[in-house]
Amino acid sequence: MESSPVVRPVLRRSSVWREDIIEDIHGKAQLGRYQYRGFSTLRGRPMPSFDDLVFIPASLTRVPLEGYREDCSTRTILGTRFAKKPIELETPIMVTGMSFGALSLNAKVALAKAATAVGTSTSTGDGGMLPEERENSRILIYEVLPSRYGTNVHHLKSANGIELAIGQGAKPGTGGVLLGAKVSDKIAEMRDLPPGVDQRSPCRHPDWMGPDDMVAKIEELREATDWQVPIFVKMGATRVYDDVKLAAKSGADVVVVDGMEGGTGASPDILIDHTGIPTLAAVCEARAALEDIRLYGVVQLIIAGGIRTGADAAKALALGADAVYLGTAALIALNCNRPIYIEDYHKLGTEPHACHHCHTGRCPVGITTQDPELTARLPIDEAAERVTNFFHALTSEIQMLARACGKADVHDLEPEDLRALTLESSMITGVPLVGTRYPFGGGPGWQREETGAPQG
Amino acid sequence: MKKASIDCRGKTTREINVQIRDFIADHATEIEILSPAARHNLGVATIEPVKMVFDGSVGYFCGGMIDGPEILVRGSAGWGLGETMMGGTIVVEGNAGNGAGAAIRNGTVVVRGHAAARAGISMKGGLLMIGGSVGYMSGFMMQKGTLIVCGDAAEGLADSMYLGTVYIGGKFESLGHDTEVSEPTDEDWKFLRENLSRFELPCDRPFRKIVAGRRLWNFDKKDFDIWKAVL
Repeated sequence: MESSPVVRPVLRRSSVWREDIIEDIHGKAQLGRYQYRGFSTLRGRPMPSFDDLVFIPASLTRVPLEGYREDCSTRTILGTRFAKKPIELETPIMVTGMSFGALSLNAKVALAKAATAVGTSTSTGDGGMLPEERENSRILIYEVLPSRYGTNVHHLKSANGIELAIGQGAKPGTGGVLLGAKVSDKIAEMRDLPPGVDQRSPCRHPDWMGPDDMVAKIEELREATDWQVPIFVKMGATRVYDDVKLAAKSGADVVVVDGMEGGTGASPDILIDHTGIPTLAAVCEARAALEDIRLYGVVQLIIAGGIRTGADAAKALALGADAVYLGTAALIALNCNRPIYIEDYHKLGTEPHACHHCHTGRCPVGITTQDPELTARLPIDEAAERVTNFFHALTSEIQMLARACGKADVHDLEPEDLRALTLESSMITGVPLVGTRYPFGGGPGWQREETGAPQG
Repeated sequence: MKKASIDCRGKTTREINVQIRDFIADHATEIEILSPAARHNLGVATIEPVKMVFDGSVGYFCGGMIDGPEILVRGSAGWGLGETMMGGTIVVEGNAGNGAGAAIRNGTVVVRGHAAARAGISMKGGLLMIGGSVGYMSGFMMQKGTLIVCGDAAEGLADSMYLGTVYIGGKFESLGHDTEVSEPTDEDWKFLRENLSRFELPCDRPFRKIVAGRRLWNFDKKDFDIWKAVL
């Protein structure tokens, strides 16, 4: 007779068959397809990020600026290459493209009001321009996407900039998704779709393909807007070094690179977690690409994807960005994941601070929904004030770091103001590892000293 | 009626389009554009009810994003003819490249000859009529509107349509996913005759009607055979 099993009170959990993996398999076994979700990457493994860098402010080798007395400019100009009317911003923080459809009307208008209040821009995103968004945005970027939902020449002509979207960081190489619960009658009308349909957008533009065609497409957008406004090209961060060169060579005024930490209203979660490269790497490759074709400083660079704080933004600027896009962080400032209406988080099977259920259309705080009752939970002016405050705070944080580094303009931050905390980030950025004077790796933008450092 | 004329020889696209706009501002009602030499982006985003006659072939995106004009091309057209237009009429006497009538929201596009791949892709309204044949994936992800092809179609016709109607007068190599083919009703024939005869296109073809099967509107695991190709 077999003896009784030995009692082992310590639960031994597999690092291979983790709880989330088991839950994922159970879900797919029920659904018969991949799983959708919103928000941003939920990868358990850490990835290289701006957190791996620190600033090294002035001491004796540099003189810091006096915070109370000496100005530190945050003025940001985009589109100086060809546009007759470049975009002038009061801060290098911009609101990224998020559609009416993914977001509620109240969220869109609140973001527009906040952007205007802080002197920056917002963006239509997919699905066309809301009149209310145009009315409340001093500077509005009009996105031209593969889907062409709601594309309207009159709206395009009223925009302050045009963004030709090739892809996004959360799901590069694939089209947008808006599940039926969010395709309300109004959204369906704007997008020329049947109400309630699971909308899956094309991933390729319908009328051009590849960089040679894009030259003509950019010229079309310039002709359509009389060469007045800047043309942005936005892409998900994949083969950034080559793609940025192609975008710049094709005639873009501004290139936007969206790293894999970028958010989404809905995507197969396998794409959110397993495609694209981190934003930290993306900014380095993008800068190197522009430098290689001698267009760095001529073509402006916007970096997006998981920018959360003034420190993230300042590090992106130091590594070569002219401005940063905020998406998820701006939604969090609106109220995303705030612990209110907690019972409605529970109905979704989640909790405040862990909600990524934007795709369901049941956003407890009225941001990623088309349900009128839920939308009403986001009063526009209060929400706009929160985002305004948040953007002001971030702008101040960037200024604080720049002043500490002795810079009178946030755009004067440079790689030399940084040090890497990890060998990995040193190799990616070309910034010396702390405690060394060596850039371990061939990172871009770094003026390598003749120190006998290892060749990157 | 006030007529004007532009000779494109020696001029850039920018110069030609500026001149077109200057003539429109000067109340021209018909502008003849001579020797366009297949330049891209001619007459794009014009939103006035002017007639533009291109005396020769045009390049990419001719008539792109227009709302209101009447355009005649005495030649052939490159990719993206009339893309995303919101209103007006475009007639091409020759052939058209890829993506003719791509994502149009309204208005009428007529190609008397053949159109290449992806004609009528992502149409959101309006009417696209092809006198000849079309290339692969024509009518792909069509949302609304009508595509009439008097000739044949290459593979993948009307793939993954949301809504809209495709009429095909000749043969098709293969249909796209989730399509339903039927014989036109009396009302369909009336619509075909009225619109084709308006542009002297052939009405005497054995047209068949293709619409969306609507199985792709919302996922159902029972339909995995069709979804596995499009997910």
